Amino acid sequence: MSDIADVALGAAGLTRARRLPVERLLPLGALVGSLAVGLVLVRATGVPLRDALAAFWEGVGGSEFAMVGSLNRGVPLALVGLGYILAERANLTNVGGEGQICMGGIFSAAASLSWGAGKLPGPLAFLFPLLAGTAAGALWGALAGLLKARRGSNEVITTLLLTFIALQMVYGSVQSVHLLRQPMTDSATLPESLEIPSVTQLPVLTKDSGLPLHVGLVIELLVAGVVAVGLARSAIGLELRAVGLNETASRRAGLPVERLVIGALAASGALGGLAGAVMVQGDQHYLTAGFSSGFGFDGLVVGLLARGSAVGVVAFALLFGCLRSGGMSMEMSASVPSAIVVVCQGVMVVAMATAAAYSRRRPA
Amino acid sequence: MNETLQAFVSSSLRLATPLVLAATGEMVSEQAGVLNLSLEGMMLSAAFMGAFGAKVTGSPMGGLAFGLGAALLLALVQAWLSVRVRANQLVVGIGFNIFALGATTFLYRQIFGGLSREQIPSFSALEVPLLHRIPFLGPAVFSQAGLVYVAAALVAVTWWLVAKTPFGLAVRAVGENPRAADQAGLAVERIRFLAVLYAGGCAGLAGVFLSVASISTFTEGMTNGAGYLAVTAVILGGWHSVGVLGACLLFGAATSLQFVLPALGVPIPTAGLVMLPYVLALVAVSGVIRRSRPPAALTLPFRRGGH
Repeated sequence: MSDIADVALGAAGLTRARRLPVERLLPLGALVGSLAVGLVLVRATGVPLRDALAAFWEGVGGSEFAMVGSLNRGVPLALVGLGYILAERANLTNVGGEGQICMGGIFSAAASLSWGAGKLPGPLAFLFPLLAGTAAGALWGALAGLLKARRGSNEVITTLLLTFIALQMVYGSVQSVHLLRQPMTDSATLPESLEIPSVTQLPVLTKDSGLPLHVGLVIELLVAGVVAVGLARSAIGLELRAVGLNETASRRAGLPVERLVIGALAASGALGGLAGAVMVQGDQHYLTAGFSSGFGFDGLVVGLLARGSAVGVVAFALLFGCLRSGGMSMEMSASVPSAIVVVCQGVMVVAMATAAAYSRRRPA
Repeated sequence: MNETLQAFVSSSLRLATPLVLAATGEMVSEQAGVLNLSLEGMMLSAAFMGAFGAKVTGSPMGGLAFGLGAALLLALVQAWLSVRVRANQLVVGIGFNIFALGATTFLYRQIFGGLSREQIPSFSALEVPLLHRIPFLGPAVFSQAGLVYVAAALVAVTWWLVAKTPFGLAVRAVGENPRAADQAGLAVERIRFLAVLYAGGCAGLAGVFLSVASISTFTEGMTNGAGYLAVTAVILGGWHSVGVLGACLLFGAATSLQFVLPALGVPIPTAGLVMLPYVLALVAVSGVIRRSRPPAALTLPFRRGGH
């Protein structure tokens, strides 16, 4: 009985309100500290701090072009992060965002190029590939869920293994002309797919800029809203939380634990697949080996740092999108290695995990 | 044909060596209940510091010392966070990998500069007296860098350590049931600390092998997933020394086939070969053939009097 009371209290946000303020300050300190590490490293390169920061800002929001780039980069990160916190609610750790992006990308490209999405009327032309990518990601997540529910296989291990398999599937699918590789006209034809038809590309919200803001941002905010409300207010959200807190008790209470576990990982994977479809249809417009370029791992980090909050995911995704954009700009116009941004992210993850462990230690 | 086969055996061994080194150490740590996804980062740091050490001291042994030091330092922090602070092991591991990738890339550009591919003093091949004259096998197996033989010895020592010594028994006890181990008077935290450091040392050797012995230079992100592959080998090997060794050799052979088969004109998609180790590991953990069961307390921190 007390389990259920705990769950109800937790869902109403009552336990959170009793927490000490220091628990909120620790992660903030970790965040600021890791950004400070970045500044120290910039100083170490000998480039004046002012120049480096100016270049960073130029890349993040200095122009409409830059701002749109930062926003677009944040979209797949946020989708993967939202998938992460969804599974996390059931105490499941989906580290396979990168692989789910790959599956989403492959099937979105296949739907756009081979399955006639271009001939569909109106918005169906871009919605069908998005859906195909989402379904592929869901399948990839569900596979891990099935192994967890039926065979007890640790989902951290299976989602990680499935990621490496999916990375090679992208590679394989653009190697053969029978799959997605563009027709070989000469020996120099790159192992990539053709460009997807323009009607299957994501519609653009802004006009007249080189790098247009696509509807991915709208999708991101919609999904964030659904996840936030679904986790906090819906019956399924409560059931996931119950399974996460105590599987045995949930089973005794008559919850369909297996179905919830499979469903949670499938939904988590679906968002990863959607992220992959958005990357192909929104930014890149063709499929190439390694197109996921670490977005899944960054999205995982975004999910980890958000600590269960959908708003947190959107905020950290924006931060990471900006870090990526700013880092690239620093490298190009101030010749500061963008690896500094990577160092910052690594320090941030370790520092936040440490802060989380310390705040857990205090009595609630 | 014979020469190709010889090259295949020789390159399989060379490609398997860093995996054998890293996976053998990781197996001990996992038996004690600590999973180090940071293996990748430890190897990469060791590969870089190995190259740096070899450059500044002018000797591959200097590289070995620097590389080992770097990996042990990371392992020390990982152990402290996993065991004492009880932070999430997976999160910390992933964080370390990101950090190591960033830090080594940054330092490489600052110290070696751009894409220099500067050759560093490296370990040369060591021919085992007499044995290297065995027809066919000799040149393929007994004419390798010294660290290859170290890897073989390490497997034997680790097997003995885990299966035959009180320390090995303690390691398995704290990994299976830390509470019972604690009540039996074992120092759970200290044993786990030592197990993580063992993994770190082995990962250090693996990283040094990559830069100082295998290709005599450092390249950005040169581990390229080898650390994760080593973790995979521990899973596929079912947390047993012999199984882990077999998994690593299999992965080495699969990687080597990618280069050998096209040379022989066999049309096989390389993606399938690269994927193979992960598919096998997935089959292993799903228990379709034989259930491979992880240590019961893997990734679970232990706290006296807690729950």
